[in-house]
Amino acid sequence: MECSKTQRLFDDLSEDRLPETLSREVRRHLDECTDCRVAQQRAARLQQLLALKRHERPSPEYFDDFLGEFHQRLQAETRTQAGWWEQLVASFTIERSRVWRYAFAGGVGVFLVVSVLMSRGVIPMARPVASDAPQAANDISIPTFAAAPPSTPAKAVASTLSRSVEPSSAGSVVIIPAAAHNANAEVSAPRYVLDRITVTPANYEVASSIHF
Amino acid sequence: MTAFMKLSDKFKFGAAAKHAADHPPASASHLVEQTVDLHHEDDETLVAKTQRGEKEAFDILAERYKERLYATIYHMTSNHEDANDLVQDALIKAYKSIGSFKSQSSFYTWVYRIAVNRTINFLKRRKNRNHYSLDDIDSNIQTDPDFVELMSHMTPRREVELNELQEKLNEALQKLSEPHRAVVIMHDVQGMTHADIAKVMKCSEGTVRSRVFYARQQLQAYLSEYL
Repeated sequence: MECSKTQRLFDDLSEDRLPETLSREVRRHLDECTDCRVAQQRAARLQQLLALKRHERPSPEYFDDFLGEFHQRLQAETRTQAGWWEQLVASFTIERSRVWRYAFAGGVGVFLVVSVLMSRGVIPMARPVASDAPQAANDISIPTFAAAPPSTPAKAVASTLSRSVEPSSAGSVVIIPAAAHNANAEVSAPRYVLDRITVTPANYEVASSIHF
Repeated sequence: MTAFMKLSDKFKFGAAAKHAADHPPASASHLVEQTVDLHHEDDETLVAKTQRGEKEAFDILAERYKERLYATIYHMTSNHEDANDLVQDALIKAYKSIGSFKSQSSFYTWVYRIAVNRTINFLKRRKNRNHYSLDDIDSNIQTDPDFVELMSHMTPRREVELNELQEKLNEALQKLSEPHRAVVIMHDVQGMTHADIAKVMKCSEGTVRSRVFYARQQLQAYLSEYL
């Protein structure tokens, strides 16, 4: 038998609570092992020392008015109604720790389920909003090009677009500068598509120097 | 808000407290007679009477267990005033919650559990404030066999004053963690069995044995010069 196991059985041995075979085994180990014998003596003396604490007592008259004090405190508590904060603090005491443990486990469970559903696309994830995107459909402004001089090449016109608007869902305005992807080709007037309607600026005059 | 307050009232005060507030005590002679009778009742009957609103029945229960509760809490806190407050507090809590007591365990185990848990919570809050206020040691100690045997083993060069021993013992106990202190006091000071401690602490007997063993190992290290 190991020393640590033997030493854990000292209480049961001294109180005769061990089965006969186990008791014999422990005693045999104690006969052979000096360390365990010393440990047993020290444990017994520690118990004697601790037993002395039973003699630390309050004076005999200490409990004389115990019930009177109990009733006073009970009445005082009855009068003072606990506020929400006291009740909240009281709910964290050790007696209710089990309730909070279950609540925490439930919360973690719900979080995991929602996470799995979101990762599988069952629940749509919130899309990040670009910082420079329009805040609402009403905020979308179509750039005007009236200030462009007649001789201005398409490249320069394209550069006046102050912001690019991404094609998005239904209802949004799609603006595609036709010449923007080939800025060096100063050949055609820019074309803008608004919701799939091709719009050609009516007043736009092409410089006479440009040949088609 | 008013509804909440009404709800909190209901939550706070059980049926027994309400009954006690609604029904003033009977005449003095009747009360004495009734209290004498109640002294002979067992715990189960007294609990049932308290649940029906007989406040005097709970008084008997409080009288019956106050000293044992005080002793355990005192040894855990090493403070006389704290022990008194905590016993009162535990009994008030027990009185208010007695409606929910289902007799699955004995009343003693139940109230003991309330007291020990409240003491552990209190000690966790008090963590860094070790102020001892010790009770006196009674004169019976001189005839205690444990004391006589212990003193006979003390070597002549290590003569120990009783008060010094008391202080060292309390200091060593305060160095243990709250659960370890609780089990070693219940077992080695109060003489409770592992099974009863397991019920109070709501853990297995194996855990209790393990805690007692570990706590003793630590105490032996702290008190080596007295062993």
